Amino acid sequence: MAEKNEDIGFKKDTVSKLLSSFFKEDKTRMSGDAALLMAEMLKVFVREAAVRSQKQAASEDCDQVDIEHFEKILPQLLMDF
Amino acid sequence: MSDDKDETQQRLKAAIHFTVGRLCQKTGEDHQRGFSRQAVAAIAETAFRQCDVFAKDLEAFARHAKRSTVTSEDVKLIARRSTALSIHIQNKTEELNQEKKSTGKRKSRDTEEESKE
Repeated sequence: MAEKNEDIGFKKDTVSKLLSSFFKEDKTRMSGDAALLMAEMLKVFVREAAVRSQKQAASEDCDQVDIEHFEKILPQLLMDF
Repeated sequence: MSDDKDETQQRLKAAIHFTVGRLCQKTGEDHQRGFSRQAVAAIAETAFRQCDVFAKDLEAFARHAKRSTVTSEDVKLIARRSTALSIHIQNKTEELNQEKKSTGKRKSRDTEEESKE
């Protein structure tokens, strides 16, 4: 099976359980659609983090993306989200 | 009891880490630059923590609308800071609605056939 960019993603159940674990009230729950959309949001978040870190590494002429590259782009990433 | 919760959180963290690893690997392949293990772990940890922020926001939006169920409307609000992201989420929402409509038509056709038999 060839892996396309669209195939890798977060599972709806994982996202639903994860977000639910952070809710303050027991009665709060997520609709199926919301869980799917949040899985997409998370995927975009991670992809942005990865691509921006990669660009930072490239601008510093590094062969590998290290934690310091991620740390440099993290503040702007958090502000953009 | 709190041990169970910790265990669940650990399992969820591991699941997130796994997918983050795969996404990083794909990005690395696309640009011929691999990600160090530390970098992947840091991205995964950040994604995990960002979920806490998202969850609290989603809950607050739902409560503001006097609902106890978080819906796609709440997710749209989460995406409001970036125009591109907003549009992307809007498109995804429409995609999901389209899928539901076509599944709905199939379901009603099935029930019609059942009643004929």
